[in-house]
Parts: sequence; C-alpha cells; structure tokens
Amino acid sequence: MTTAQTQEEQALAALRERAVAELAAVTTGDGLEEWRTRYLGRERGELTGILKGLGKLAPDQRKAVGQAANAVKADLDRLLEERRQALRAAERAAALERERLDVTLPGRVIPRGHVHPLSQTIRDIVRVMGEMGFQLYDGPEVETDYYNFQALNIPPDHPARDMQDTFWIAPGQILLRTQTSPMQIHVMEHMRPPVRAIVIGKVYRNEAIDASHEAIFHQVEGLLIDETCTMADLRGVVERFAREMFGAERKVRFRPSYFPFTEPSAEFDIDCINCNGAGCRVCKYSGWLEMGGSGMVDPRVLRGVGYDPSVYRGFAFGLGIERIAMLRYGIDEIRAFSTNDLRFLRQFT
Amino acid sequence: MRVPYSWLKDYVDVELPVAELAHRLTMAGLEVDRVDYGWPGIVTAQILWQERIKGSDHLWATRVTTGTEELSVVCGAPNIQVRDKVPLARVGAKVGEITIGEKRAMGVLSQGMLCSPRELGLSDDHAGILILPPDTPLGVPLGAVIGEPVIDLDIKAHRGDLFCMVGVAREVAAFTGKTLRPPTIAVKEKGTAAAKLMKLEVRDAELCPRYTARVIRNVTVGPSPQWMADRLIAAGMRPINNVVDITNYVMLELGQPLHAFDYDKVADHTIVVRRAAPGETLTTLDGVTRHLTAEMLLITDPAGPNVIAGIFGGARVEVSETTTSVLLEAAHFKPTNIRRTSVTLGLRTESSGRFEKGPDVELTALAVDRAAQLLAELADGGVAPGRVDFYPHPVTQRALTFEPGQVPWLTGMTVTRNEVIDSLSALGFGVGDAVPGGADETLRVTVPTWRGDVEESADLVEEVARIAGYERIPSTIPTGPLPQPSRDPWFRREDRIREVLAGAGLTETVSYTLTSRAAMASLLPGVGGRDELLLAAPAPGMRADDAGETGDTASVAVSGRAAERRAIAALAERLPAIALVNPLSSELGVLRLTLMSGLLDIVRENAKHSDAGLWFFELGRRYLPTAELATGTGLADERHTLAIAMSGPLVQSWAAPDRDADFSGLKGVVETLLGALKVAGYRFTPTRHPTFHPGRAALLEVAIAHGGELTSEGGGGEIVESAWAPVAVLGEVHPDVAERFDLTKRTYLMEMDLERLYLAVPETVRQMPIARYPAAQRDLAVVVPQDVPAAEVEAAIHASGAPLVRGVRLFDVYTGAGIPEGRKSLAYAITYQSPERTLTDAEVERTQAAIVATLRERFGAEPRG
Repeated sequence: MTTAQTQEEQALAALRERAVAELAAVTTGDGLEEWRTRYLGRERGELTGILKGLGKLAPDQRKAVGQAANAVKADLDRLLEERRQALRAAERAAALERERLDVTLPGRVIPRGHVHPLSQTIRDIVRVMGEMGFQLYDGPEVETDYYNFQALNIPPDHPARDMQDTFWIAPGQILLRTQTSPMQIHVMEHMRPPVRAIVIGKVYRNEAIDASHEAIFHQVEGLLIDETCTMADLRGVVERFAREMFGAERKVRFRPSYFPFTEPSAEFDIDCINCNGAGCRVCKYSGWLEMGGSGMVDPRVLRGVGYDPSVYRGFAFGLGIERIAMLRYGIDEIRAFSTNDLRFLRQFT
Repeated sequence: MRVPYSWLKDYVDVELPVAELAHRLTMAGLEVDRVDYGWPGIVTAQILWQERIKGSDHLWATRVTTGTEELSVVCGAPNIQVRDKVPLARVGAKVGEITIGEKRAMGVLSQGMLCSPRELGLSDDHAGILILPPDTPLGVPLGAVIGEPVIDLDIKAHRGDLFCMVGVAREVAAFTGKTLRPPTIAVKEKGTAAAKLMKLEVRDAELCPRYTARVIRNVTVGPSPQWMADRLIAAGMRPINNVVDITNYVMLELGQPLHAFDYDKVADHTIVVRRAAPGETLTTLDGVTRHLTAEMLLITDPAGPNVIAGIFGGARVEVSETTTSVLLEAAHFKPTNIRRTSVTLGLRTESSGRFEKGPDVELTALAVDRAAQLLAELADGGVAPGRVDFYPHPVTQRALTFEPGQVPWLTGMTVTRNEVIDSLSALGFGVGDAVPGGADETLRVTVPTWRGDVEESADLVEEVARIAGYERIPSTIPTGPLPQPSRDPWFRREDRIREVLAGAGLTETVSYTLTSRAAMASLLPGVGGRDELLLAAPAPGMRADDAGETGDTASVAVSGRAAERRAIAALAERLPAIALVNPLSSELGVLRLTLMSGLLDIVRENAKHSDAGLWFFELGRRYLPTAELATGTGLADERHTLAIAMSGPLVQSWAAPDRDADFSGLKGVVETLLGALKVAGYRFTPTRHPTFHPGRAALLEVAIAHGGELTSEGGGGEIVESAWAPVAVLGEVHPDVAERFDLTKRTYLMEMDLERLYLAVPETVRQMPIARYPAAQRDLAVVVPQDVPAAEVEAAIHASGAPLVRGVRLFDVYTGAGIPEGRKSLAYAITYQSPERTLTDAEVERTQAAIVATLRERFGAEPRG
C-alpha cells in the first residue's frame, strides 16, 4: 500500500461515508430498498459501478482498489442487514404497543353452575362409604306399612310408631317412607350375605316445618351383614365416616338407645365441631352433637328375611344428610336447602 | 318424664352432682333431655359496684358479674352491698309474669333484674334482694344452688317400666352399684272385707287380663300435704285433692295408673268391665261427648259407662269433696287396644301413655296397696280388708338361657362372667347357672315381669353392655368379605349429569316432592280430555302426534282470572296424582307428577332478586300412579327424572353481548348432555304440548337397540330390533303458562325421563380407529321453503351422499336480501371420506351433485351462489 491514496480509493471512502449517513436516515422498508438499489443494485448501484469499472484500471491498482471496494460492499451489506433488523424490531414494537390491552378488565369467564350442597354431601358420603366397600342401593319412597314398619319389628299399634309421624296414602297400608331403613329389608331380600350397602334418599315426616325440622328430608342408611362383624366394627365404620366428613380429629361417642330393628341399639354423637367439645350455642353447651342412630340388626329382623341370626351378624346406622351439610357448611336454617335461592346455591362449587 | 332429684333419692342413695348423674343416665340409655333447675334464665351473680342514681331517691345503678360477663343492672332494693352474691334474672328470663328486657331507668342502662324472695316465689319477703351464701359459685343457674333440680328424661317406647321413680331408681342403682330401696308398703285393714262391699265382673279378659280393686271408707277429701303437692308439680302434674293426688303419686312412684271412684256413686257397687256397645257414648271430664265403638273397652256399672278403660273418665262416679268412700282400681289392659282407642279418640293421657307401653301386670296389687296405705295415712281412710282381684292367668316369668360369650360375639366388648351376672342381677333379673354346679359358662336368666321387652339373648347383651358402658366397645374396621359388585350405575350417571350441567352453567335445585294438583294444572292451559297424560315427560307409548291439537286453543285465557282459577281447579281434580290422606297442608297434598311446575316456581322466586340468567336443573323423581297401587298390590311408578329451566342471559360481560336463553340454547344443553352420556342415536321432532309455545316445542327420542322395554307401535307388542323411545319434551314456555307463573322473561323448559334415557346409554365406550385416508370438505348452500325442517335436509344429505359423506355441519341459516320470501338458505360444510382410499375430486363432485339433485327433488331446493 502506498502512502497516498489513489483517486479511486478516495472516491470509495467518500461513497462509503455518504452511504452510511443515508442509511442511518432510512426509517422504512421502502427507503431501505431504495438505498440498496442506489448503492448495491446489480444494475446501477454506485458501488457495483465501481466494481464493474475495475477492469479499466491498471493491473497494479486493480487489486488494491478491488479489495477496498469489496470491503466497502461487505461493510454496506452488513450495515444494511443490521438496519433492516433494527427497523423490523421497531415496527414490531410499535405494532405490539398498538395492541396493548387493559389487563385489569374482567376476563371472559366460562359460566359455571353449582351443584346443590346436599348433592355434594351425598357425593362425599358415597365416596367415603364406597372406600369401605359399601354399595349404593336405591328404593321406593312410596312404601308399604310392611317394609317401613312391620318388617322392622314395629307391629301395628306399637308405641314406637310415635317416633315417626307418618304421611299415609292408604292408611295402614301404603305410606311415604319415614326412614331409609325399609331398604334394609329390600336389600337383604335381594341378596345373600355378605352385604355392605348404603341407601340415600328422601324420607317424609308429618311434622310441622321450622328452622330445624323439615317434612321432607334426606337420610343415609348403612347396612353390613356377614359372619364376623361386631358392634366394634360399627364403631370403627361410624368413626371413619365421621372423621372423613367432619375432620380427622373428631371424637365419636356411642350411647345406648332404642330402635325396634336393632339390638343392642346405640345413638352416636360427635364432639362439637364448633367448640371442639368445650360447650357452645351450637351443641347447647353439652360439647356433643347428636348425629344418628345405629345398632346390631335385631335377630327378629334377620329371621324375617331368612337370615339365621346364629350365623349372621350385622349392623346398621342412619343419619340425616341435611344435618351433616348444616354442620359442614355452617348453615343454621334447614329450609335453606329446599328454598333454592340462587344467592344461597351459588356459594357452593 | 320429669324426675325430681330429691324424689329419686327416696329410693336410692345417690350423691352425684345432678349434672354428673344426668351424664351417667344418658350414657346408660336413659337420655336426659335437660335438667330443669327452675327459674330459667336466672343465674348467680356478684355485686361489683353500686351507686345511687342522681335524681332518684331509691334507685341504685349496679355493676354485677356472672364470672364471665359484667352487666349493668338498675335496682331499687336497699339491702345489697358490694361483694354480695345475688340472683340475676337475665334479659329474656321470666320472673312471675314479667319477661325481663333490656331497658333504661332514669337514663341508666339495665340489663337484667336482681330478684327478691317473693319474686322467686320462695316466700312473701319483698323487703330486699335474696342474698346468697358467700361460697355460691358465680354464673350457675340459681336452681342449681338453692332449687330442686328436675331431670327430664326421654324414655324410649320399649321401656314402660321407666315411667316411674322406682324404675329410674333401679337403673341408677344398677350403674352406681348402690342398692334399690323401694317404698315400704304396709296396709292396716279394718271393717268389712272388700269382697263383701263390691262386685267385679270382667267380661273381656283379653282386653283386661287383670283388674285389682280395694275399698277405702271414711276418707276425708281435702288438699294434699304440701310435700306431695310439690312433688306432683315438680313432676309436671297438677294437684287436685288428696284422693286424686294419691292415685297420681302412686302412678309416678310405681308406674301403675290408678283410678279412684266414689264408691257410693257406683251403681250396685258393681264394676263391669266390657266393650262399648255400638253407638254408646260417654261424656268425659273435659265435657266432650265421646262416640265409642265395640273395639273400645269401658269400665262401667249397671247404670252405664264410667271410664274409657285406661284412658279417661266421666263425671258421674268421680271423687268429689263429698266423697266418703273410695273404690280404687289398678288394672292391666291390652296395650295395643289402649293405643288404638287413644289414637282413634285423639286422647293421650298420662295413664294411656303408660298403659300402651305395657306396665308390669304384677304391679296392680302393689299399687292399690300403696294407694290404700297413703289414703289411710293422709286422708284418714279405713281400708276394707282384702283386694278384689280378677287375674285368671297369672304371668309366669320368662326364662332364657344365656351364653355370656354372646356379649363379645355381638359387641366386641370383653366382659367377665361375673360382670354379666352382677349387671343383670342389679337390674332385677334372676341369674343362675344353666347347668347345676356351673359346669359350663351358660346362664339361666329369669326376666322380671316389668321387662316385657327382653325376649332373647340380644336383648340381654344390650343390658350387660349398657351397664358396662358403651365406651368399652373397641373400634375396629370390618374384615369380612366384600359383597358381589353391584351393577346399577344410576348414581354414577346422575352425578355425571350434575357435572355436565353445572359445567354448562346450570345450578342444581332440590325441591319438595309434595305439591298441589293446582300447581301442576297451571302447566296445562285450556286443555281437556286426556291431555293430563301429557303432563311430564312422555308416558310410555306416547308419540309426537299424540299430543293433540289442543295446545293453542287457549279457551281459558280469555275468560278472566276467576274463570281461569275454576278451570285450573277442574283440571286439577282430574290429575292422577297420588294423594296423601293426612297432608300437612293442601299445598303439599299430592306427590308430584312433574318437576316442571316446581322449577318454574323457583325461576319466579329468584327473578325477584336477580336480573341475571336463571338456569336451573333438578334431578328427582316423579311419582306416577299404577293399577297395582290403586288395588294395594303394588307401589307407585317412581321415575328418575331430569328437568331444566332456563331464562335470561347466562353471560353478562363487557366482552360479549348478553344473550338471553333461547330454544337453541336449551337444545344445545340437552345435546351436550346426550354427547357426554354417549347417547348415539337421537332425534328432535316438532311436537305439541300444552305447556309449550306451539311453534317452539320438540320431542326428544332416542334409539334403543334390541327393543329395550319398547314395543313397536300397534304391532301387537312384539319386540323390534330397535325403536325410537320418547324421553323428553322441551321448548319455550307457553305465554299463558308463563303468565300463570308470573314469569317476566321467556323461559325454556325441559323434562326428561332418565330411566328411558339410560336404555340408550352404552355401558362402555369402544374406540374407533382414526381414518387413514384424507377427508375432503365442500360447502353447499341450498335455498329451501321456510317450513322444511333442517333435520330432514341433513338426513337427506347423509342418505343421498352415502357412503362417502362422513359429516354434515350446518354453519349458516339465512333469510333476507337475496332470498325469496318464504324461503331460507341453509349452508352446510360436508365432509367426504372413505376408509379405503383417498377420494378423487371427481368422486366428490359426483356425490355432491347427487346430493343437490336429491334435495331439489325432495324439497324443491336450489343451490345458492
């Protein structure tokens, strides 16, 4: 390289300077294309012209100028690509900015309905009991006196009939079941032991309706018959049930009671879920909440369905589903379940 | 039953605090409803501070504490000082006739009242507040400190023996290990023997197995001594006079109801126990004339009836102030007969309640003796020697063989043989070795006559277990074999329906299954004849064209509200609903035949406080009458049913326009459900149903393979290969119906018979291979007359394009510019596909041309655009 630049080299440097300055001023894709055509265009680009004119130079100059021109071309190609990227990024950024949303606006929610709290409670009961092998059975609400009473060891004119005021369809014959217990008889007639059954459904009592009493409500009934079970198993199953429904720490208390179709009979209570047994308004300061009735299936009932009570033993228990739901969800008005007020129902998932 | 604690202590030495005793009673199976301390709402409190109220000459402002709470009380008494313990009547308590409320006196807040002895009914002292001993605990019921606690027991129906103090005392003795101390009964007799003074004739030994009487002469009728009156009051009975009070006292003490007659008024001094004659009447002491039947037992004399046996007496031979001689009756009546008579007459008395539970037949002699003893002691009576006793068949004690191992066998609880013997003995059972010398464990147990409820081993197990305490029952998990799997998946299906519908935005309701006929009849405007059969989802065999031409006659709507109500009532009468003979109210008088009226009620009630969408569903039963039910040989047809009601916009969002519920919205929900349940073959056809808008109602039918329960129409009942079964009606509620239910928005309603739907639900799903060859899609828009059902066009595309047409999707329905009046454009996207090869364009075009030709021929369709 000589110390003095040739005329061609000076022209190349000037061209480069001019091209770089113009490129910096380009702001659009079209401008970019125009610029490329002007300097690098295959036909009339200024740099292309210089490269094409190399042949006219002296051979000693040709090499130096050729190298310089190619360097300028590579430079401009690179700058063009950089500029193109920058412009594209700016355009994309502007476009995205134009699409900016108010992300605090409410979303387009897919509307969901609500499953009734009783159904949710029933679903849990079916699951909990199902885990212990109890299968669900369904039966009639319009029942005969035989199934609702007599087969359960409650003959006509028995004082135990006072325990349940009955809606009659044909007095003394057809009624609305007052309990789910008649299904014990249906299930035992339908199959041979072993039996593990639960029944869930509506029951009817001819009683005045108030904040804690409904004429129509739901019960769950459990029945287990085999050759080995005892009241200890009844206790275990009821405890498991209570702890699944009301919390793992629940205490369960059994106390003697009377049901015509169980012997021995027991009522079961749980320690108050509100005060944990300390005593409060919910448990009437007793520390305990009455949950349901239970017992070993009475031998008279077993004989009635053709099960030999010296071979088979069984237990049964029953409780109100509204009561479970009221305690779980803190509902103090039983009529809330049948009022079907959306403001109540939508509080449940 | 109310048991005053002090009375109980006459028969058993029990020293437990009453709350502890109440707990022990409950845990032994004698459920304590509550302990009544008297003075409800009055608690012990202590004066913290007091100050004269400015401007008053006698009122004090006091601050008192109950130990847990401080209250301001204004008081006018001069005798209280700081630190005194006093009775505080809290807000809500009743003192005499006054209910205490929160109030202000001279501007000072008063949250209760401090009580004087007179206000508490303790004495006439009204000079100042009752000051309690300094060691009185704070915040406890006053009755627990100075009163007489009364234990209120909920005695179960099988334990007639517990309706008395001695019976309860026997239980207390058994679980506390104390000795029962029954009353000492000793009668001093004098004068003529009772057998000479009266005659007894029992004509019905079945209804009256025992009748025991005594005669007591020269009694002085007057008030009872205070202690007896107090006990009767505490036990919940009203003192009358010493003679009547003694009979009640002995009943409460021993459990045997007694009746006292004025001996001199009993005609011929002759008691005749007999059934009532047909048409016979008796005016009872309450002034009501009772009409009797031959099923009812009477205590009579030759002059006529005196008492409805065991239940209630008449006035003629009652004891009065002029009575000088008393004929005492203690009898035993057949419990079921007493109960039936008492239910029939609507008469429940202390006496009937005991008799129907079957008291100890051996008690009668004891009871007349006890009453005679008290009449001698308290009414100066002279007891005629001897009892007159009709008792032809004395009871024998039941003897049971009892294996002590039965206790663990049934309860899982371990007990020793001695524990078994001790607990049964304490309850009055006779216990000995079954085999003399006790060669094996087996016991011979004799059941006391008052324990008629104990009939076999299991009953004895309960006795042993409850005296031992149920807390000794261990807790285990059953280890026996599991039963056969049960196949009825109804719950799983119902729960799936819940999930799908809640996911689709509907909320589940649970409403009363009892309703009124009128409520259901409101669904049926202007109908007659057999249309009530259409109420609710299709009855078996129903077809769309069965629905009749009545839905739009609406003859009722024009004749005004009163006429409409009459029409509804007339129609209601004919609804075949199952009726209760003893309903709570006429609103809840019959079982529902449909869920639809209940859902419309729910929509209306919710509309009162919501302008959002009201989209509801209910899963429940309809109760259809059957011939078997009517003849008493069978039950109702209880049909699992789904109903849906939709009204208003489900979505209310800035991001989408509100869209009110409409027919296609409802149908879409139903189709979503059918898809979720994998029901493959179904169809919707236009139908007429009086509940629905005549142009906006559809019948849903599903295809049931293998005939199911269905038979071909008119085909003599033969089973067909597959059949269309109607399962649901759906549509827009008829405006006349909407008016009756006060619905303000258009409401869409569906009712579906799930039991029939389930016939079309497959048990399992089997996957189909994904097609290997590509599909081709072509759009086709055709212009058809307005009244051509889209479903028919679609079916024709499928049929004429078979087998290459794989899918048909309607993507546009258009009327308006460019379409002639009375016609509509239906635009379909048709998918062509072969399982065997890639289709050529020519094949697809040929098929599409064939479809167009068919549509033109069948519907006069013209391809568009």
